[in-house]
Amino acid sequence: MHSKKVRFLTIFASLACLLWLFGLGWTLKDYLIGKPSSASISPSTDEPVETTEETSVLKIVALGDSLTRGTGDIEGKGYVGYVSDRLKAAGKDISLINLGIKGLTAPLLADQMKEKEVGRQLGQADVIMMTIGGNDLFLGGQTLSDVSEASIRALEDRYLLNLQEILSGIRAVNTEATVYLLGLYNPFSEFENGEQLSEVVRGWNYKAAELLAKDAKTVYVPTYDLFQQNVNELLFTDHFHPNEKGYSRMAERVAALITGAEQGGQP
Amino acid sequence: MINLVQNEMTKLMGKRRFMIIAIIIIVLLSMFTYAQSKEAESILERIGTTDWRTELQQQIVDMQNRLSSAGQWREQFQIQIKQSQYYLDNNINPAQPGAPTFIRGFVQNSAELFLPLLVMIIAVDIVSSERSMGTIKLLLTRPVSRFKILLSKYIALILSVSIVIFLFGSLSYLVSAVMFGNQGWSAPVLTGFSSQGGELDISGVRLVSQWQYIIQQFGLAWFISVVVGTLSFMLSILMRSSAAGMGTMLACLISGAILSNMVSSWESAKYLFMVNLGLMDYVSGSAPPIDGMTLGFSLSVLAVWMLGSLIVSFTVFMRKDIY
Repeated sequence: MHSKKVRFLTIFASLACLLWLFGLGWTLKDYLIGKPSSASISPSTDEPVETTEETSVLKIVALGDSLTRGTGDIEGKGYVGYVSDRLKAAGKDISLINLGIKGLTAPLLADQMKEKEVGRQLGQADVIMMTIGGNDLFLGGQTLSDVSEASIRALEDRYLLNLQEILSGIRAVNTEATVYLLGLYNPFSEFENGEQLSEVVRGWNYKAAELLAKDAKTVYVPTYDLFQQNVNELLFTDHFHPNEKGYSRMAERVAALITGAEQGGQP
Repeated sequence: MINLVQNEMTKLMGKRRFMIIAIIIIVLLSMFTYAQSKEAESILERIGTTDWRTELQQQIVDMQNRLSSAGQWREQFQIQIKQSQYYLDNNINPAQPGAPTFIRGFVQNSAELFLPLLVMIIAVDIVSSERSMGTIKLLLTRPVSRFKILLSKYIALILSVSIVIFLFGSLSYLVSAVMFGNQGWSAPVLTGFSSQGGELDISGVRLVSQWQYIIQQFGLAWFISVVVGTLSFMLSILMRSSAAGMGTMLACLISGAILSNMVSSWESAKYLFMVNLGLMDYVSGSAPPIDGMTLGFSLSVLAVWMLGSLIVSFTVFMRKDIY
């Protein structure tokens, strides 16, 4: 009475129906009733962590705070993005991972570096770029109202201690990579306490640079001078983060250092 | 009875609905696969490596950065970060490239709205079209009880839903296998995350093979579609015009999608069926729309709605005057 086609479809549909019912039943069994039907997690060893990446690619890891993230840049690139643009334009093959997190302070960065995968990324890196310290010193602008030597000294000591920890953390997983730490600038130089704060920033930078000087492959990149004049033209509307012009100036400097080091390193 | 069901299947086939549904699925699939391959390309360009660990680590950091400005999505982000971190720490790739991974994501995203819409195409005029075309009189003058007639229609509907889900699965497999390759069926998937009060509970987490996970997903998708189908079936009896039934059902589904994003403070909304359609989210471990909702709870709410609408359907259909 019914065509073969319909009979076939009906039987087929019933089979499909049974299959889906089975799936539903399995889900119920696994998630609602009793023991799930699979073993618990065993550390998978089937995929060995490959350490030999293709050597032609320059691997860059960026660490740090909102400056690394690119806050204030309309395009969201930050100095990291502009450095990568410049290197790509120079014909370099690069891979880039940006681990910057807004609001990061030195102790938090030291914590972040303890993560297994972050350590692995750092271990593979050829170049490490960092901005850290802005949040430790300025405390989101609070420091502006209290520039007494004692409170600055306390901040500074804590920062240097953490910076040391961060650097030795990097060296523990990677002895070869060049580390570029971008220094601080004074975003508040045209404010009331600006003069005093500029002095503090210079002192802060000096000490950080001294600390970095202990390691030949750790480079301190000053930014203070970049923002010394016309600071408002280079800052975002929040008067704290650089805008795209500011970032691109920072990037110019770092990119030049990276390409210079690469060329020098070639036989 | 079997004859009656086959009779209904013949009618459904005559309407060529399955063809339309298949075409819709193929068009959408080709857009999604294309979009996904584009996305993979752009990530490759941005990060410069195909190492999934680098990619996942970058995603985690990106989410951490969005946390501070996430507002109401904060909890969702936090759970997602912890989940990704868990994958990373256990060295398991959450998105092994290949057809199975694509299907997994596609079902996950379609189960709440897209699949129910496809089912609606079939279900919404299964009774009302007979009324508007006048064929219902012929059907009811047969020496078969009204109950049996309606039951055969309902069974035909369930069978069609199964076909739709099968079409969906097989087509997405075919298209994605061409685009991404066939590997990854036995890739491990972490499941059993549960999130309560914005905290990710990893005590129940376990590994399952991807193929098992996908079958379970399809089981859930089928259930959701059957529930939506049953509700549309009821509307098709209650309302004379198919367009009105379609509109009502659409409004419900869409309001569900919107409500799930904003009901977290209106607790009794959890008894609405459309808020409970996100069954997949329990399995994948994202936060439920309202605190305290679980897979069992949602399944029971949906089952109650389904039973209720079946009772309404049959009583109304058996008592109604047909003229």
